[in-house]
Amino acid sequence: MTTFEHCVRCTLCVENCPVFKVNPAFPGPKQAGPDAQRFRLDGERSVDDWVKLCCQCQRCQVACPYGVNVSEIILKAQLKYSREHMSPFTAHLFANTYHLGKLGALAAPITNAVTSSGAARKVMGVLGLATNLPMPEYRFLTLNRGRRRKGKRRSSRKVVFFHGCYLGFNRPDIGRGIRDLLAGLGCRVAIPSQTCCGLPALGNSDLEIAKKFARKNARMLVEYIDRGYQVVYACTSCGLTLVHDYPEVLELPEGRKIAENTYNVHEVILDLLENDGCSVEFGEVDRTIAYHIPCHLKALGIGYPAAGVFERIPGLRTTILDDHCCGLAGSYGFKKKNQQTAEKLGTIAASAIKALEPDALISDCGACRMQLGHYTGLPALDPSEVIIASLEKGASKKSRGKRRIP
Amino acid sequence: MSAYGYDAVVIGGGVSGIMASLTLASGGFKTALVSRGDPVCCLSTGCIDVFSHSDEPLSGIRALLPDHPYSLVGEKGIKDALSFFLEIMAEAGLPYEGDPGRNRKILTPIGSTKNTCLVPRTMAHADMPPGEYLHVISFQGIKDFFPSYITSRQRNSTYSVYDAGVPTTLGIAARFDDASFLDAFITWLRGLEIPHDRVALPAVLGTIDPASVMEKISRAIGRKVFEIPTLPPSVPGLRLFRALKRVLQSRGVHLYWGKGVTSVECQGRTVEAVTLATTGRAKRVQGKAFVLATGSFVSGGLFAGRDSVRETVFDLPVAVPGERKDWFNTDFFSGAHGIERAGVRVDGSFRPVETDLDNLFACGSILAECEIMSLQCGHGLAVATGVAAAKSCAQGLS
Repeated sequence: MTTFEHCVRCTLCVENCPVFKVNPAFPGPKQAGPDAQRFRLDGERSVDDWVKLCCQCQRCQVACPYGVNVSEIILKAQLKYSREHMSPFTAHLFANTYHLGKLGALAAPITNAVTSSGAARKVMGVLGLATNLPMPEYRFLTLNRGRRRKGKRRSSRKVVFFHGCYLGFNRPDIGRGIRDLLAGLGCRVAIPSQTCCGLPALGNSDLEIAKKFARKNARMLVEYIDRGYQVVYACTSCGLTLVHDYPEVLELPEGRKIAENTYNVHEVILDLLENDGCSVEFGEVDRTIAYHIPCHLKALGIGYPAAGVFERIPGLRTTILDDHCCGLAGSYGFKKKNQQTAEKLGTIAASAIKALEPDALISDCGACRMQLGHYTGLPALDPSEVIIASLEKGASKKSRGKRRIP
Repeated sequence: MSAYGYDAVVIGGGVSGIMASLTLASGGFKTALVSRGDPVCCLSTGCIDVFSHSDEPLSGIRALLPDHPYSLVGEKGIKDALSFFLEIMAEAGLPYEGDPGRNRKILTPIGSTKNTCLVPRTMAHADMPPGEYLHVISFQGIKDFFPSYITSRQRNSTYSVYDAGVPTTLGIAARFDDASFLDAFITWLRGLEIPHDRVALPAVLGTIDPASVMEKISRAIGRKVFEIPTLPPSVPGLRLFRALKRVLQSRGVHLYWGKGVTSVECQGRTVEAVTLATTGRAKRVQGKAFVLATGSFVSGGLFAGRDSVRETVFDLPVAVPGERKDWFNTDFFSGAHGIERAGVRVDGSFRPVETDLDNLFACGSILAECEIMSLQCGHGLAVATGVAAAKSCAQGLS
């Protein structure tokens, strides 16, 4: 990775910045990143409060042909600013989404009733939370309350599933689907107890909490890696945190090892199909879908592996949309000060989807699905849901009673 | 984990790499495009200069020395490639116009005119007959666009300024995507009761469907309307890139974006795979054939050291004109800098010469002797050689 001195000021990063496009208060990634970096000194108090307007989608870093770590420079400037200034209440709240999730899930029916009530939403508004988007619902039967191991014990493909908070607390049904999908394709799957990846804490500039979460996960993951497991993730933001932030930003000693052994779940599925000779039959799914690429999947640089699986599904008509940030960016859009930006970006991304007149939208990221499901009014699915539907159809067609996918 | 295998892997996501990928994918080959970032075409005017050095591109090309890459493509090849480009752009919903037999003029933000060949429909009316009057619309606080530059050079012109509420070209363009903003703008524009023949604006007429925005404005005021390309960040350049990318994805080309190639694997005379510096862990991409479209110095395909020039992915031999003292002309604006001729030499099938690799092809501004700056032929050369190298690659594959 090159540094800010390598920036030639070509403005390709600016062309790709979603926030710059809709919020004139943000000077764009070139100025917020490499340009301002030369004036940021240790021991000198930060004055660039606009640096907090960056949503850390990392599109600038993907676009930069010179390899300048634009969004990383901005992230570090955000951390510096927060160290030197008092953080707002919402930052503390969202840094701890894991604990909120744990509590929320324990009292799921009550949590959901309260967060959707009018009175609570008024209180949220006063506290600085955006109230235009419904809060995600919590499930009592969280992912780690279900079966923690599945698949052939002696399988040569062992994977440990890092599911993250959203699949853990809010959509455990999708998590269980992915668990069963991988097991059905011949993997030994483990779902050990885990904490938040640390990204919400980083995004809310709480380095200490992020490190605490990360160290705990790192210890657990390395134990599995040493036993021959590959780490798989479905949430692309958790994935990016594991492979990029653990070694580069949080500087964990185990970071490099984790990065080298961590894969997107669809990379694993493609590999099983391409190279392991895994024979399954994909049944027809007669649907038109818009595949919204999460910014953090772009930032991983691994291509769009789920699209490679979709190509094998007969009848499925997929259009890839990778030019828009959904605007929610994790907890960013849940803050009142970012509400307008998030709304505008959500509307732009949603109109690109609606123009295709699809039956559903698909995205790897839970936050994108929440935001775009809301702004399009379409069913918002995880890629695995379509893959499972197709395999179930294929299996039932192939041999009655002998289903390959449990 | 093993790599994912393709028929063809194109390295470089600029116009030549994209056109090569589209040609291969249209031929039914499973194609991957890897790029270490967004291409310089996003910063360009969005127009396709085929050979702007003279008024008639094709006859200008005929007069070129035989070692210019255009000569390898041939006149028919160039024409076919440009029509393929026009088809692609129509499919993408960003229609282009123009004729390779004759250049046309566009207006620049400093009020001069510039020769070019294919233009987006929003610039089609920029070629004004002498004697017509022009009314320029600018925007409050817009950066790097000063209408008085234009009115001082174009005698029959005047300007007005609209407050879009945001001073950046990208910000204004995002607003033009919104129908209510467009309606308010049109109402204001009608209020001006412009008596002049044509109306010009900086290129900010939306990011999605600029031709429709332009036509709507044009119908409302009964005048011909056109866009003037701006300094980077460039909205028409971004539109061109995104439109090409949309078609790429609809044709099933797999994109690996944002990470460069760190190493290549060769077995005897064959390139087998490239490794990408993906986040956290390298990723191998395998192919039966490879197309190199990494551009020249600005895009990083070539790297100039003190006394030599290096090709950055395969370390191919690079043809360099003379010694360092011959690289630059002391008069910067004279054009004709020797270094412009540096690049990778290819044979008639676009395979780099003096290498023993059979399944590698090269196209675009990385080619030796192309002189895209002084001949003003960047995008045209990219389209023509991209298509030609891909056709040669396809022949090698089948």
